[in-house]
Amino acid sequence: MDQVLTIKKSTEAGLIDLLTYLLKNKKVSGVCSLRKTKKQGKFDYALITDPELLHDVVPLHPLMPVNAGKMLSNMIKMEMPVAAVIKPCELRSFIELVKRSQGKLENFLLISYTCGGALPLTATVENKVDTMLPDYGKTVAAGNEFEHIREICKACEYFVPFNADATVSLLGETGADSTCKIFLHSDKAKEILQGFEVEKTEDEFDRTGYDQIRERRKKYKEELFKQIKIQDTGLDGMIDVFGRCIGCHACSRVCPICYCVLCDFESSTYDYDNTIMEQELSRKGGLRLPSDTILYQIGRLSHMSFSCIGCGQCTEVCPSDIPVSVIFRKCGEKVAEIFEYIPGRDVNEQVPVTIFKEEEFEEIGEE
Amino acid sequence: MKKIQTKGVKISSNKDYRDSIVDILKKMLQSKSVDAVLVPMRVPAKDSYAWILVKDEKLLTEADPAAPIMPIQGARALSSFSRKGQSMLKIAALMRPCEIRATIELSKLNQVNLENVTLISYDCPGALPMEDYLNDPEKGEKKFNDILKKLDFQNKSIKPVCKICDQFSLLPVSDLHFTLFHDQNNTMFLIANSNRGNLVLKEIGMEASHTVSAWANGIQEIKDKRAAQKKGRFTQIKKMVEGFNSLLATFSDCIGCHNCQSACPICYCRQCYFDSESVTSGTDLTMLKAKKRGSISLPQNRIMFQVGRMSHMSLSCVSCGLCTDACPVSIPVAEIFSYVAHNTQKQFSYSSGENKGEPIPLKTFKLEEVKGIQELVEDAEA
Repeated sequence: MDQVLTIKKSTEAGLIDLLTYLLKNKKVSGVCSLRKTKKQGKFDYALITDPELLHDVVPLHPLMPVNAGKMLSNMIKMEMPVAAVIKPCELRSFIELVKRSQGKLENFLLISYTCGGALPLTATVENKVDTMLPDYGKTVAAGNEFEHIREICKACEYFVPFNADATVSLLGETGADSTCKIFLHSDKAKEILQGFEVEKTEDEFDRTGYDQIRERRKKYKEELFKQIKIQDTGLDGMIDVFGRCIGCHACSRVCPICYCVLCDFESSTYDYDNTIMEQELSRKGGLRLPSDTILYQIGRLSHMSFSCIGCGQCTEVCPSDIPVSVIFRKCGEKVAEIFEYIPGRDVNEQVPVTIFKEEEFEEIGEE
Repeated sequence: MKKIQTKGVKISSNKDYRDSIVDILKKMLQSKSVDAVLVPMRVPAKDSYAWILVKDEKLLTEADPAAPIMPIQGARALSSFSRKGQSMLKIAALMRPCEIRATIELSKLNQVNLENVTLISYDCPGALPMEDYLNDPEKGEKKFNDILKKLDFQNKSIKPVCKICDQFSLLPVSDLHFTLFHDQNNTMFLIANSNRGNLVLKEIGMEASHTVSAWANGIQEIKDKRAAQKKGRFTQIKKMVEGFNSLLATFSDCIGCHNCQSACPICYCRQCYFDSESVTSGTDLTMLKAKKRGSISLPQNRIMFQVGRMSHMSLSCVSCGLCTDACPVSIPVAEIFSYVAHNTQKQFSYSSGENKGEPIPLKTFKLEEVKGIQELVEDAEA
């Protein structure tokens, strides 16, 4: 059974109260959250230790300058947990990283929320966040789709967090102006917040209560996936979609799953000898330089797509405007289906390609 | 400094400049003067350009000698072919002047082998920003065609960093040079600017006998205009980067993706120092910093990365603008780095990519500098 905290304030103000309690009473060593920067309309993630500085945090802002999962994975060694307020997809990416020994769950009190989707990076660049927020808030409170969120967010069916210690109810929460409702799931959360004196009740967080939104998102996802036709067109289709890739690998750099310090495709494995390239040149009459544009994409698809949590950072940073995240989600979902795997659902569920089952060997034998 | 050549081969009057250039490249392949040519080609989806090393002359019909955009720096393309050493093939690379300058810098850093490479430049009116082109490639094609047709070297659609570029024409390091900026009679010249260039001309049966002083004067006029624009723009940029607070404000949108570095032709390190564990690890230190200041911005070191990259590569920066094209948050990285590069290079009387023999300042020292250090040490001891 979950414990429900009800605070008679707006959702954001209530959550900030909770964070302030945690930091003031030294229940956590720090708070990790989005905050306003000194420059109007600009925001960053910050690790905050001084409770006085919490008045700048905007934990529920629909922004993702970086995927916080990637950020948290850098904090390996800690004596006391940090309270982190992150989006469900960021949390799922952190879980995927934990599975890969790139982060530790016990280092954090993970607070997430039912997410109405994130705005593209351009919203911040063009200073549109402050003007968009009131509309965004109303739309999300009504359980509707805000039109300016990332395309991949409109197609996201995992907007209710998995594995959170606490969930802030935001999506479809009509009373968000005056009431803050936070569900504490884990014993850790209940224990840490024992002395936080607000209205506390027992209730079960209803994960199924969002069916309508989920259906809408699924429908949108199908439409979005339909636009990517690589599966029908083979290599030519790949060349059409990825032909304009400049090989900057920005997609892998911002990807929370791509944790390799040095990507295989940046290693010396792919520095070919002249003789090999000269042979290729003679065979084809022409050679694209630098080579391996498509190989990189297929390689990354095979390395990480089953763990792709669809945060959309890759699309956001692609200088060639390739719809990377839709392609990777579409492909990843198909692969994950085979293994009945949902990335970030359960920390005990191992990454498919890192384990095997005996019966899989039988299948191979039969074939 | 090498004197600009004043003679060239008259190569066309009525043909499209593309056809004229492709004709010459074909001749180079046919005469076996070179074995392959590196040229930009439009990708099959027609929404961008890629570098293709062409051996089969039939493929050259698809070459686009002056592409409207610069998605990948030519120096990087050439480096991917020759970083492991000298190729048996003789290659001619047709590139924008800034790409050739980056190639020269990379050769000094042992990332390009220039043996057997003929560098061919052309008068570059500038490139269109990637973002604008990708929004509507056909519109971009039309726009760039107009620019070339009207010889509009002051067009407002080109990348901001191109508008302040005064090294857009024949370089001291070019072996050959096509004069796209031609006179009213549509006369285009091919200028040989080195022994290698002269040899190629000879091998394709051409001789530089026409004087090109009218062209040279025209180019000088544009250079002067561009230099004036540069001066004006640098005064603005100066305000954006001088002092820590302005630096902080200028880079306030930076998300630390390091894509400027990925796209940069000079940043050749397989692993950037700022992606290494010396910078990224250490929770204890992060906590310590956060506790000391009350809060710390994440991911860390975004400004340090910018300043660090400036100090690592600005001496070789060629102001090609690929960093701005690659920046997902539209920071004018290229102009900022161009401004910084202008000043760091001035310190050493160095100009990136201008001279093959001149070592990168930080890779060399002069005796009197050692003497200076000795004095410093003596001062410190006393």
